[in-house]
Amino acid sequence: MKNSIKVERAKKNWTQADLAEKAKVSRQTINAMELGKYAPSIVLALRLAVLFETTVDEIFAIEESDWV
Amino acid sequence: MKLKYLFPHRFKKIGWFVLIPTLLAGLSVMYLNFEPDFFNIKVFAILNDGFLSEGHNFQFITDNVFNEIIGILLIISSLMIAFSRQKEEDEFIAKIRLESLVWATYFNYAVLILTMIFVYGISFFNVMTFNLFTILFFFIIRFNWELLKLKKAQKNEE
Repeated sequence: MKNSIKVERAKKNWTQADLAEKAKVSRQTINAMELGKYAPSIVLALRLAVLFETTVDEIFAIEESDWV
Repeated sequence: MKLKYLFPHRFKKIGWFVLIPTLLAGLSVMYLNFEPDFFNIKVFAILNDGFLSEGHNFQFITDNVFNEIIGILLIISSLMIAFSRQKEEDEFIAKIRLESLVWATYFNYAVLILTMIFVYGISFFNVMTFNLFTILFFFIIRFNWELLKLKKAQKNEE
């Protein structure tokens, strides 16, 4: 799964720590998501969408490998 | 997703405070037969098969309860360390926790199988005693190692 968390975060000028605090998760979680190592729950994805003032499918996109 | 059945974060520190001295006492019980007379008390035995003495079930017997106390403290303190919430326990940490628990279970039984094959006699009895606690120890080590790796990876990112 691809995501644009890093881009959205840059637009807002937030550090990983800033975003972690706002999304109420650990910094490790933000980092793992940005690196594509962790696919968040629907709730966390929706929280990110609210924080970035956009929609979930603007942030996350499915890839070929997600079907395997 | 929040994991149920976890202790509050502060229990972790308490767990360490109890575990370290208890572990030292436990090793002294095993290797030095350290059993102070003070702990000789009457206990109610549901089963007492007379392996080391004459056996009587459902009776009060006299026993040195030092090793029992140590065993219980070891289990409780290890559980507190293993299953206290992290300061920032979130869904990703919960995933790491679950994966570490699966890993620790496999590793623990892999070690047990190896010792079943290669260790005999009284030494195997010692292995069984250790094995009562090792699954929690392996979990604690694996989980904290994974968290440390994540913290390091994150520092490199910043």
